[in-house]
Amino acid sequence: MDINSRPLGRRDFLRGSLAAAALAATGSLAACATSGTGTTSQSSAPAGQVSDTNPFGVKSPSTVDAVIFNGGYGIDYAEFGGKQVEAKQQGVTVKVTPTTKVAQTLQPRFVAGNPPDVIDNSGAGLIGINTIRDQLAELNDVVEAKNYEGTVIKDTLYPGVMNPGTFDGKFIVLNYALTVYALWYSASLFDQMGWTVPKTYDEMLSLGQEAKGKGKYLLGWGKEAATYYQTMAIGSAIKEGGDEVRLALENLKPDCWSLPPIQDVFNGLKKIIDAGYVKPGGSGTQFTAAQAQWSDAEQFILYPSGGWIENEMKKQTKSGFKMTGAPEPTVSSNSKMPWEALHSTAGEGYIVPSQGKNVAGGKEFLRAMLSKDAAVNFAKTKLSSTIVKGTVPADGFGSTALQSQIKMLEAAGSNIFSWNFVDLYGMNTDQLVVWNSFLSGDSDVAKLTKGLQDITDKVAKDDSIKKVQVS
Amino acid sequence: VTALSSGGLTTGVASPGGVSSSGGLRRFGSARWRRRNLTFDKISFFLVFLVIPVAFYIAFVVSPFVQAAYFSLTDWTGFTPAMNFIGLSNYAKLFTDATFLQAMANNILMAIVVPIVTLGLAMFFATLVTVGGSTRGNIRGLRNSSFYRVISFFPYVIPAIVIGLIWSQIYDPSAGLLNGILTRLGLEQFTSFAWLGNPHTARWAVMFVIIWGLVGFYMVLFIAAIKGVPAEVFEAARIDGAGRFRTAISITIPLIRENVQTAFIYIGILALDAFVYMAALEPGGGPDNTTLVMAQELFNTAFTKGQFGYACAMGVVLAVITLAYAGLVFAVNRIFGGKSEVGE
Repeated sequence: MDINSRPLGRRDFLRGSLAAAALAATGSLAACATSGTGTTSQSSAPAGQVSDTNPFGVKSPSTVDAVIFNGGYGIDYAEFGGKQVEAKQQGVTVKVTPTTKVAQTLQPRFVAGNPPDVIDNSGAGLIGINTIRDQLAELNDVVEAKNYEGTVIKDTLYPGVMNPGTFDGKFIVLNYALTVYALWYSASLFDQMGWTVPKTYDEMLSLGQEAKGKGKYLLGWGKEAATYYQTMAIGSAIKEGGDEVRLALENLKPDCWSLPPIQDVFNGLKKIIDAGYVKPGGSGTQFTAAQAQWSDAEQFILYPSGGWIENEMKKQTKSGFKMTGAPEPTVSSNSKMPWEALHSTAGEGYIVPSQGKNVAGGKEFLRAMLSKDAAVNFAKTKLSSTIVKGTVPADGFGSTALQSQIKMLEAAGSNIFSWNFVDLYGMNTDQLVVWNSFLSGDSDVAKLTKGLQDITDKVAKDDSIKKVQVS
Repeated sequence: VTALSSGGLTTGVASPGGVSSSGGLRRFGSARWRRRNLTFDKISFFLVFLVIPVAFYIAFVVSPFVQAAYFSLTDWTGFTPAMNFIGLSNYAKLFTDATFLQAMANNILMAIVVPIVTLGLAMFFATLVTVGGSTRGNIRGLRNSSFYRVISFFPYVIPAIVIGLIWSQIYDPSAGLLNGILTRLGLEQFTSFAWLGNPHTARWAVMFVIIWGLVGFYMVLFIAAIKGVPAEVFEAARIDGAGRFRTAISITIPLIRENVQTAFIYIGILALDAFVYMAALEPGGGPDNTTLVMAQELFNTAFTKGQFGYACAMGVVLAVITLAYAGLVFAVNRIFGGKSEVGE
């Protein structure tokens, strides 16, 4: 054989490989420019007939592709909603897919122009709304449509629940679960000890002393949830200083963290930390473990959190705990907003990508979720209210936490506020670091302020980040 | 690729048996090609051992690299098909980004400490187990050395993420094993001490976990290398009066130099990544970002901040640092007299 008489030289081999590599490399370079740019699929026009019972004209038969965050609320409530759609719209099937990492799972589908029809964009791995807001369908027609009972959806919702989903005047995120932020405590423990809920930071400080006398700490935290204290601090500062505080933070104003109401709150917290009323070690404790120190071991007595806390700690709550919420404290008794004012927003942000194959189907799914059966089902099984009013009976399905949420909402009336900048610009991760050191007593108010201001300034100065103007 | 291979194949199939210059080859037009005897054997060898692997390599390794490098020059958000070319401004931003620079510094510290401590310990144990035994009779390790060998390999069998989760429980301030033992010993200052939450201890605590998990593996690697050294060498050294330490420094390490170098590169790359350990131990970057690593910052920038272009720039910098690290290890080895040709 020829190969024996003339061995394949190493140089020949290498030369061949170079030629092959050069050829292939140019090919892939050319491909590279286009590989990221998937075809922009044109959303198929709804072929279904638009009618009162089918306001968005869902095609039949068709499939609705729903991707639901599988977190604290699970996905069974969404499957329930899907069944409602299937019952109302003949021939339409709803495919509910759970995911725990929304951004990672769906990023390739967005790039390829093939996103799902409706997404529950929630959890730690959510897609920053700022990144995709140009690719979302406006949802005004959903809230203007009639629900399955024949009432216009808009009239059935709690006030202000559309605000957190509105960006530059466009309503693109339907936040489904109503969340009340509060200071949570055990009503039974407080009754037994004769304590009252503190309404200001000074009252909190003196309660801290009483608790210490009983061998308990006042507050505690977990490392992934240190910014719950930021949420409480901002809430307190907005009540104290009114809307101007909120707007300064939302619009990333220079020195916004140095506004007097915010500083007063920070100083109030610092006094509590310095007095040793905060359970140490939080910056090294996993947050649900820290929360169990409150709800199960009762090592500390107050915990700022959202209304999901009851569901989250269901299995780690002492029996007879009577979890109850109170509005976040103010600085002084003559704050601009009353103590009853409430930081409440809606979570579980549902979005409908405008490039989805079945946009009308996605909207129909939301319509079903906002109708009575699905909303009541959510409240009952998750012990948490949706944005739909009147789905929770007075006994709160036996939950003291849910009862207190509804009571707080009633007491607050129209004094309900919320903000978006932390999630909108993805600041939480950076802020956690600053708060962990503040709560563990390693830093002071000046360091905290500077740390938070640096994070704000970094976003404000970065031209590549689109800003949302809030007024 | 297709032109070369299909042209070549036709030739090979049409004229098996080694025709030196057939019509198919003339298409290449080069005299050099014509002179070569491109037989079926040669062509099929080229194809199977060269073209296909190279094509795979380019499609699945090189092209993503090139693509990432290109994305690093754009403002791609990661969720749109469209992106704008913005030149080097991502890199300019990167080198003024205090958080990223801190992550880089953390990684570099880890790439220095973790390999030295891990490999130092691994070498120490490997020596004990193989040649550190009784100085009488045959060269051998300590008594029951095979038992120690198995025990020390255990941590490596556990996946990194599990190691991270186990240790995050051990380090728990209030309910963790470590503080439990320390307070039981009467060290009251460790009550609720947050090992992973204190800026002075966090980075050492996580490095300890990484080292704990890897010592066993590198120990086994070194044992295998030392076993490859003829026992006579050690006996000769002993006759010349060398003690255990002198033997390790002057005989063992120079003789297994290439293994040490390879180990350094592997563990250095791991220390420059460290994502898995950090995801379990310090998902938020640790107190004052003292344990934040570049891979975490990259992930966070890409997926929570929606800045894939910027994240790609971080990836490119991470790749460059990794290559520089490997280059440094080679250079150090060469300076100290090693042959540079590794793998031959």
